[in-house]
Amino acid sequence: MTGIVKLNNVTKIIKGRTIIDSISFEVHKGEIFGFLGPNGAGKTTTIRMIVGLISISSGDIEIDGKSIKKDFEQAVKHVGAIVENPEMYKFLTGYQNLIHYARMTKGITKEKISEVVDLVDLTGRINDKVKTYSLGMRQRLGLAQCLLHDPDVLILDEPTNGLDPAGMREIRDHLRMLAKEKNMAVIVSSHLLSEMEMMCDRIAIIQDGKLVDVQQIHDFVQGSERVFAFELDDQEKALQVIRSQNPNIKTEQTDSSLVVTLKKDQVPVVVKALVESQINIYGIQEITKTLEDRFLEVTGERVGNDHA
Amino acid sequence: MLNLIKNEWMKIFRRTGTYVMIGLLILMVTVTGAFIKYQERGGSVPDNENWEQGLRMENTSLNKQLEEMGNTVPNSKIHYYERQISLNEYRIEHQISPNEEYSIWGFVNDTSQMIDFAGLFTIIIAASIVASEFNWGTIKLLLIRPIRRGKILAAKYMSVILFGLLMLSILFVFSALLGALLFGFPENPSPYLSYYEGVITEQSMFTHLLIYYGLKSVSMFMLATMAFMISAVFRNSSLAIGLSLFLMFTGGQISQLIALKFTWAKYILFANTDLMQYFDGMPMVDGMTLPFSVAMLVIYFILFLILAHIVFKKRDVAS
Repeated sequence: MTGIVKLNNVTKIIKGRTIIDSISFEVHKGEIFGFLGPNGAGKTTTIRMIVGLISISSGDIEIDGKSIKKDFEQAVKHVGAIVENPEMYKFLTGYQNLIHYARMTKGITKEKISEVVDLVDLTGRINDKVKTYSLGMRQRLGLAQCLLHDPDVLILDEPTNGLDPAGMREIRDHLRMLAKEKNMAVIVSSHLLSEMEMMCDRIAIIQDGKLVDVQQIHDFVQGSERVFAFELDDQEKALQVIRSQNPNIKTEQTDSSLVVTLKKDQVPVVVKALVESQINIYGIQEITKTLEDRFLEVTGERVGNDHA
Repeated sequence: MLNLIKNEWMKIFRRTGTYVMIGLLILMVTVTGAFIKYQERGGSVPDNENWEQGLRMENTSLNKQLEEMGNTVPNSKIHYYERQISLNEYRIEHQISPNEEYSIWGFVNDTSQMIDFAGLFTIIIAASIVASEFNWGTIKLLLIRPIRRGKILAAKYMSVILFGLLMLSILFVFSALLGALLFGFPENPSPYLSYYEGVITEQSMFTHLLIYYGLKSVSMFMLATMAFMISAVFRNSSLAIGLSLFLMFTGGQISQLIALKFTWAKYILFANTDLMQYFDGMPMVDGMTLPFSVAMLVIYFILFLILAHIVFKKRDVAS
């Protein structure tokens, strides 16, 4: 797989302050790439640099091999984007808004416009003024606007911001469909972790303008170690057994169970030892970490390291 | 490029404000027409058979004043007197009476004062055409199209100029139509006498009015260009409208005040925007000529556009 969007040591300095510090990553076709970070970490700045709204202080961004710095028109041709809220001309109808943007790219037919309107399910209201639209409808019109020219890359800054759960789900389904069926690369930024978890294939975590990590969402959430809750009749005894086996194991006692962090192949060993020590096991359950836990872990670690 | 201008045109004409402006312009012409028509009903055309004698008397007194003043007044004032005298002599010589019946041309001439309003509306459009995109947030979707920023800016500027031309055409055509309707065409049209550098030429009133519109609108387009520049540089339409209108109404007087003391006043934009001063008035500063003013206007014009272009191109769209 080759990256359609490539960031090479992208840096942004505003008035002597480094906002974005040498970020590099690649996004591939057909994947949904999440861009995660606390507010003010530099998500929006990075996204704006990708679409050429903000200049790049050093480094470069390539889209389909074309530099956004030197070859703006050729590079941005492949991109459809919503940056922050989809701001539309409120005094125009939805259709006029689409005509407006369609005129700015070569070769968009009337048929293509109706096709896109159909896709985002706005056919019934497309001839109403945008000021009468709900936020969800505006969001969908924004999506229609980026899809007009069949882009290879779709960039959405906080796409589900301010939407109700149904609206969020709708956007999510749309994006999944576009990535899988049209083989688009979709870049979304968000601070809503649960959203990202449901939507993305890979995520990049950014903090204080630095790239902390890029990982498959599954690997990222789980890490290599997993957490198991053992429901037992004698927690104290079990604890001793586990400790005697491996003194460095992370454990935690709760009311109902003993929580142990183990690698997969350690599980049968522990179970065997417990059984041999006459401890009754009522149940073993894997505790799935959420992205939120992991996110706080990763960003927290960094804060910790900075202090050390 | 055509598509971009179409877009701007759509954005201008899908807003009610634009129609209010056009409506106001038409309303003002109509009210002026009704008012003049009402006044005219009482009196008839001044039927002064002795106009030749009147002009001779005027010339005698002007000549006398000219001698008395000697070298104590600026050159421009002397030129003004000389102009008046030679115009009067020309009339006597060619039997062109200054008394003429009020007709369509007189009306178009009267309503041409409203070019200032056409200018005001054009300034409003110029001031908001870039700044609004920033206010609405739509600039973000506008600048991520495969079109260079310079081209987008150029399309916006051209749309402003087109809008200005439209306002002028509406004013001219509507005034002419209403004038023809209310006052009719003159039976024997008297020509307009144009005086430039001591030479008098006869022009038809229609040609004269076209030239007059052209010269009067120079100031309007310069101010619109300035408003456009401020709008692009500061992204603030209120500032652009406020500053441009303030200078539109006071710029001339301020330059005149400065011109009393300093000759560098002739380099001020507003000393040069009124090109009519070379035809039926006197230049603000001695030594100013038509080519000088035109050159100054071109320099300011290029300066405004380059400034707008550079700032707009470099700008980080961050908010």
